[in-house]
Amino acid sequence: MKSLQLILCMLTISYTYSQEKTIISDLEDLSLNIGEVFKPNSKVVNSDGSEAECDRLYYYNKKGVFSSAKSITFDRSEGTLMANEPGTHEVVAICIDSEGKRLSKTFYVNVNYPKIKEVKLSLNDENIYVGNYIPLVYEITDELDTKRVIDFWTTDVAAKYFSEVDMSLTSSNNKIEIDESNNILAIEEGSSSIIALFDGVKGQIDIKVKKNPVSRLVLKSSENNVRSGDVINYNTIAYDKKGNVIEGIKVEYSFTGKSSDKSNTASGLILNDGRFVGDVPGKYIISAKVGNISTSKVANVFPREVQREVNSVGTGLVGDKHTSDFWIFEGVDGGDYGVTGTWGADGTAYFWDVSDPSDLKKIDSVQVDARTVNDVKVSQDGKICVITREGASNRKNGMIIIDVSNPRDVKILSEYTKNLTGGVHNVFIDNNHVYALSNGERYYVVNIDDPSNPKEVGMFELGKEGQSIHDVWIEDGIAYSSNWRDGVYLVDVGNGIVGGSPSNPIAFGNYSYASGAHHATFPFKSKSTGKFYTVLGDEIFPNGVNPNGTNETAGFIHFVDFSDLNNPKEVARYELPGHGSHNYWIEDDILYVAMYTGGLRIVDISGDLIGDLYKQGREIGYLLTGSEDGYIPNDTMVWGAQLYKGHVFYSDFNTGLGAAKVSGGKPDNSKTNQHLDN
Amino acid sequence: MFRILLILIISFNITYSQDYYLYVAAESDDTVSLLKFDGNNLSETERIVVGSYPTENEGPHGLTVDPNGKYWYLTLAHGNPFGKLIKYSTETNELVDETTLGLFPASMQISTVTGFLYCVNFNLHGDMKPSSVSVVDPETMTEITRIKTGSMPHGSRITSDGLKQYSVAMMSGELFEIDALSLEVSRILDLEDHSKMDHSKMDHSKMNDSKMDHSEMKHSNVKPTWVIPHPNKNVIYIAGNGSDEIIEVDSDSWKVSKRIKTGKGPYNVEISPNGKYMIATLKSIGSTGIWDLDSGKLLSEVKNSTSVSHGIAISPDSKYAFISVEGIGGEPGIVDVIDIKSQTLIDNVEIGKQAGGIAFWKMEI
Repeated sequence: MKSLQLILCMLTISYTYSQEKTIISDLEDLSLNIGEVFKPNSKVVNSDGSEAECDRLYYYNKKGVFSSAKSITFDRSEGTLMANEPGTHEVVAICIDSEGKRLSKTFYVNVNYPKIKEVKLSLNDENIYVGNYIPLVYEITDELDTKRVIDFWTTDVAAKYFSEVDMSLTSSNNKIEIDESNNILAIEEGSSSIIALFDGVKGQIDIKVKKNPVSRLVLKSSENNVRSGDVINYNTIAYDKKGNVIEGIKVEYSFTGKSSDKSNTASGLILNDGRFVGDVPGKYIISAKVGNISTSKVANVFPREVQREVNSVGTGLVGDKHTSDFWIFEGVDGGDYGVTGTWGADGTAYFWDVSDPSDLKKIDSVQVDARTVNDVKVSQDGKICVITREGASNRKNGMIIIDVSNPRDVKILSEYTKNLTGGVHNVFIDNNHVYALSNGERYYVVNIDDPSNPKEVGMFELGKEGQSIHDVWIEDGIAYSSNWRDGVYLVDVGNGIVGGSPSNPIAFGNYSYASGAHHATFPFKSKSTGKFYTVLGDEIFPNGVNPNGTNETAGFIHFVDFSDLNNPKEVARYELPGHGSHNYWIEDDILYVAMYTGGLRIVDISGDLIGDLYKQGREIGYLLTGSEDGYIPNDTMVWGAQLYKGHVFYSDFNTGLGAAKVSGGKPDNSKTNQHLDN
Repeated sequence: MFRILLILIISFNITYSQDYYLYVAAESDDTVSLLKFDGNNLSETERIVVGSYPTENEGPHGLTVDPNGKYWYLTLAHGNPFGKLIKYSTETNELVDETTLGLFPASMQISTVTGFLYCVNFNLHGDMKPSSVSVVDPETMTEITRIKTGSMPHGSRITSDGLKQYSVAMMSGELFEIDALSLEVSRILDLEDHSKMDHSKMDHSKMNDSKMDHSEMKHSNVKPTWVIPHPNKNVIYIAGNGSDEIIEVDSDSWKVSKRIKTGKGPYNVEISPNGKYMIATLKSIGSTGIWDLDSGKLLSEVKNSTSVSHGIAISPDSKYAFISVEGIGGEPGIVDVIDIKSQTLIDNVEIGKQAGGIAFWKMEI
């Protein structure tokens, strides 16, 4: 009998433990409207349908609280959730029993897109001529009064939105033709209507297709024979049939081309204002069109031929640790000197005599309580150097102010840590003020009239949660701060443009871009065109840290035309395939850029800038700076560049300081494509 | 037969070897070292590079291993600007997943009851304002809520039953108790010794009261940096880094029950799993203090191998304390292993710079 009881007992235990459990919930197939509050009801059941123990239930929106959007939020005291954003969201339910065992299940909760309330159609240009494609603009308002404006070119937005709604376009007659991609072509003179239906909500616009007043177009160009990268300005004059000029008529530009090199593809860029640039040598046909009238003109694009030899002149090897930023300056004795920082090491900064760039001499050093001296700067008068600290053993970091009047015997004047304990990543010195980053969040302005007794006089921050800053650069009383995803901020710190001063920094301009990798800024007034750009650099390590070899780098230099402060426009880029950007210097319309693993690159940025500057053959030359004696041998990782008295100085993460010279001679490429069969 | 048995027993004793494994973070080198101690020698078996910016210091700070030993978790203090929590496999030491937390996430632990990871957002260099404890589901690496606590919370530990999480706010001088189940603060204790406060030295004339938000601001003399609940008693120990003391709190009465004077700068404090010893790093003097909890006496202050003593991990058999020691500047970080019973330093090993976060992984025969 006892044996039977034991067997029964064991069977029961075995049955109980073999039961599969799952969470069932009314979250399953749940659909909510935005703003709707829902109290989920869930329980744990065994595979036989019986209810199992569940001491406590938790719900959360997977990757949706702080990691990304707050699509669904929870009020745990009420046990409710609220739908905040449309789409399908993962809600995880976790049950914990009295023994601390957890069971979880993910439910997919659909939050409905708010219904469309109104559709408005409009045109950017009222003049639609026969032969024109009609650039319709859709303004869609939903029941939560959110407006989405989708124009002809925002195809990414349009594609995302149109995929969620049932949309159709029709015209009232055949004077207008709508193709399967919803492109609208004016076919015949007369009146027509376009009807758009978005989820059954109708929008309508009446169109008057006009007879094309143009009978002839004349295309004029600033030049016909140019080098790759040179911008040609096209101007189109439209004439009516009486030969009168038609003013203000909108012209569409396009181009085709053929590369001089049979194995290459012609490429270039043409803008609505008639500016064209050819990337590669070849023959290009530029066309101007108004409705069904068009004309063309040929442009010959020849090689830019700016390549020059770039030779290494001298190196100041730092082979026992990583090197960070550097600065070259004229000392008070008229000699030429440099200072370099060190990274992830022992808090040393080295001072150099660079008067003979072929013989860079280490002449002094300071060691401070830090692991990284990331940035070093010297005042305009060559008397004061500021070095930054990160990784101080007392975690107070801050910066160190040094008298470099005698670079062979530098003297620490003061340590300044107020509000800078989180680490100073970068600094800039301008007119007896140090602009020092604090904890990667803001910068403080510190007066060093008395460098032994620095005084904080101002501070600038974006003032929003998640504010982040990487660098600041001052020129003409304007501070250009690089704020990662928030882009560049132009701040008046004494220029006077908006009444700012070091103690009262006032922001007056901003530009940001999608990648959010904005790391450094250099202001650039083009000598050849007078245009003003902010040149913005990325810092991206797409695969993180490679512990076993060379790090992969990415990102590029963005050229933003800031001539109109209120309407900055990104117009060009310098992107070196396979290598990412870091710090750089611009002088006399030449960019000297540290492209990390891509070495030191020198780029002609003269003339108007549009499009892809690398493709345009603007690169003058380059130098790979790895050394077999480097901290990591033969691993090029250029940190920064500075043109100084005709030499290009650079620092390399693995090799230290270096000097290069751009020669007048062209590189000898005679053997580049030679087949070696001997 | 007896002889054979005796030989077998002796042989077993000779060949029997207990190995201990732990992870230690090097905050200024962006590395984590896996260490092995065989009872005599401490060695580094692997150095894992962490972070995603080769030319930025991201500051690995807090470490913990989940109760089943399959994963280890690391906080990276510096981001743009928020820090990260990263999950690694103990089998491969490769990254499994990550999530973004608050400013300077620091110490953390996983509750054996909820399975959630509770991590303080230290915000060391931020404003003197309340920060938070992030609660993360490590299975999906999703931060499921943030619980508001005090200013600059650094040390945090969970009770052995997994039901309470304690953290101390360094600048507001408070002990916070979070109910691990309800995910709410259940109790707050002011750790200041108000009998010792001297207001006569404060110059109130320069204070602009109208602009001060007293409800959010408090400057602690205690500057508590670590907290550890006793494994089987209802007492909690707190390192008073500013007041050079270990504070004992009775968790039943929720009152300070004892203030134990220490050497300068107690930073981390741990209790041996058997509940007999209290061990604290004395950061400012580069030593480790060992107390007998039954007698309440300081048994010894063991000088560490370098300066700036930081974290403590105690082996589950309560035999050894592993101490991370930061060092200064370019010095390597060092991990010391101390025999708790004899209070002697047995061995040490050099790791990356600024050794800090430390977590015990496993014992293995």
